[in-house]
Amino acid sequence: MLKLRFHGRGGQGAKVASRITGTAAFLEGCHVQDFPLYGAERRGAPISAFTRISRGTIMERGVIPNPDITIVMDQTLLSDPQAEPLAGLKKNGVVFINTPDSPAQVKDEYNIDAQVVTLDITNIGLDMLGSPIISTLAGAVASRIVGIGEESLKNAVEKELSKIITDQKLIAKNIEAAIYCFRTLELLKIKTIQTTQRQDSVIRMPFEPAKISTPSINTTASSLLKRTGNWRLFKPFWDHDVCTKCMICVTRCPEGCISLNEQGFPVADYEHCKGCMICAEECPKKGIKAVRESGSDSVEVMGT
Amino acid sequence: MSTEPIKSIKDLPLDENLFPGTPACAGCGGLLTLRHCLKMLGDKVVIVNAAGCFTLLSIYPFTPFKSSWLYTAMACAPAGAQGVRDALDILIEKGKLNPGDDLKVLVLTGDGAAYDMGLSSTSGAIYRNLDFYYICYDNEAYGNTGFQQSGATPFASRTKTTPIGKDFPKKDLFEIWNSHKPPYLATISPAYPVDLANKFKKAEQYKGPKLFISLTPCPPGWSTDPSHTFKLAKLAVDTGIWALKESVSGEVKHTFVPGKFKPVEEYLKEQGRFSHLFKPERKEETLGKIQEMVNEYWKQYGVLL
Ligand code: SF4
Ligand code: SF4
Ligand code: SF4
Repeated sequence: MLKLRFHGRGGQGAKVASRITGTAAFLEGCHVQDFPLYGAERRGAPISAFTRISRGTIMERGVIPNPDITIVMDQTLLSDPQAEPLAGLKKNGVVFINTPDSPAQVKDEYNIDAQVVTLDITNIGLDMLGSPIISTLAGAVASRIVGIGEESLKNAVEKELSKIITDQKLIAKNIEAAIYCFRTLELLKIKTIQTTQRQDSVIRMPFEPAKISTPSINTTASSLLKRTGNWRLFKPFWDHDVCTKCMICVTRCPEGCISLNEQGFPVADYEHCKGCMICAEECPKKGIKAVRESGSDSVEVMGT
Repeated sequence: MSTEPIKSIKDLPLDENLFPGTPACAGCGGLLTLRHCLKMLGDKVVIVNAAGCFTLLSIYPFTPFKSSWLYTAMACAPAGAQGVRDALDILIEKGKLNPGDDLKVLVLTGDGAAYDMGLSSTSGAIYRNLDFYYICYDNEAYGNTGFQQSGATPFASRTKTTPIGKDFPKKDLFEIWNSHKPPYLATISPAYPVDLANKFKKAEQYKGPKLFISLTPCPPGWSTDPSHTFKLAKLAVDTGIWALKESVSGEVKHTFVPGKFKPVEEYLKEQGRFSHLFKPERKEETLGKIQEMVNEYWKQYGVLL
């Protein structure tokens, strides 16, 4: 049996990616299971999805703490303690990471002891589909790593997407982009053994006494400790040369994370900015650009 | 707070009482509304939150609020507010709480709770003239559980439970509440923060129920780009779909009337939940009907002939 775990952000399509992979394997004659797991948080927050694929009956149920293959749809998740995408990965397992960096770079940076595959599927999504919704592409990558045939992938994409979108042209574009990702990756050999490289820590809630487990209504603004800044794919970048200090961006940020610096110019709290880009959309001077987040460097790809 | 009306966004209070790090979706219009409301209400507030998206704002051990927060089931936030108000009053009466340190009691609900499950409890609270604030962030469906239709879902909107579009209109919660003749009742929009702020300033003068309904774009539910949230909230007002008004003891007045109404289509065509009205072919009849419903509303107030 092959066990896959997908890590993405709400809205990127991790659930659909796992469905596509499951359906593609089913079309190859396998037994499959796929299901997502959402936390209490919402669009942009880390979520995971799971796929089991087997030639025989699958008796196992529940989340997958020890995957053979992990698909990381967003590089920023690697350093997110809430997501921990590498937790429990089996020895000799494969981890796919959506990044422009090379496997060697990522292996080094995150100290990964597994086969690493990388491809910048967000960029492919933006180029070929015009949006950073990368469910199909992640499904294609996973199918390739699992060793599924191209025809089954194509049919699975068609089948799954027809359930959620009606635009035939968009479905055709998704198939094209999926095949492109599929063919770009080389075929791998996966032979994992049970030992894991990191502690298995997928959702293990300790039992706390009532004094601790009951929320305190006296705490003030402790949410500041939560770094929602890594939810975003694009970050707003201010050009103070054209800014007239009109305050429009400050007023329109749902998170309230734009403040004024000593000169009265707006500055963002990047630890918390979720990258909704309302500020950029609303600035009358077009003084805020959306800059793509990609690991440590940011590449400007989108004017606003 | 000074009684001078706020004239521009530059006069809005700079203090924040809702902090970042929340679990709400990027671009949530409800969050933007709440941020402005809490700026006006200050930090001496007890928030009584009916189940919905915003009960996720405080997830142990994290809270984005400066003030206290209490979670109730969907149907009973106003009843919870009554309990909190009574407790505060008893403390004041016993001399254990200085009236100057008194807290405002605020009910916070989504449209699911406000329009449907919590309606009888709200009606009871208005009827008893409970001294409290009530804010409903109305994204026109049960957003928290995957966007199923609620009493607030408008005609023709697609939701998980109305896949081909809802075939009857939204409840008029404003009118239902207004028939109770509460001291202060208003509709607000995150796209008109100055109007919103002045309504809170005005409401402050009244004892009793002070109610606010805000139409708030919801990017995942409405299938819109998060960056368009503000634009859509504004289009809802500028097309006349969301009327900005207030009512003092039952008497209704519009606080903003667009100089020239934009066609409703401009608002509808931006949203995935209405995309079936444009693709694969235009549903002229439905589009016409929506425009007609908006025109009828304004005619009733003599704004349109
Ligand atoms: S993108 Fe702009 S509006 Fe959105 S959260 Fe970040 S700073 Fe606020
Ligand atoms: S909206 Fe634009 S011009 Fe206005 S303060 Fe913000 S960056 Fe400056
Ligand atoms: S589902 Fe909609 S209302 Fe709920 S948090 Fe997300 S954007 Fe806001």
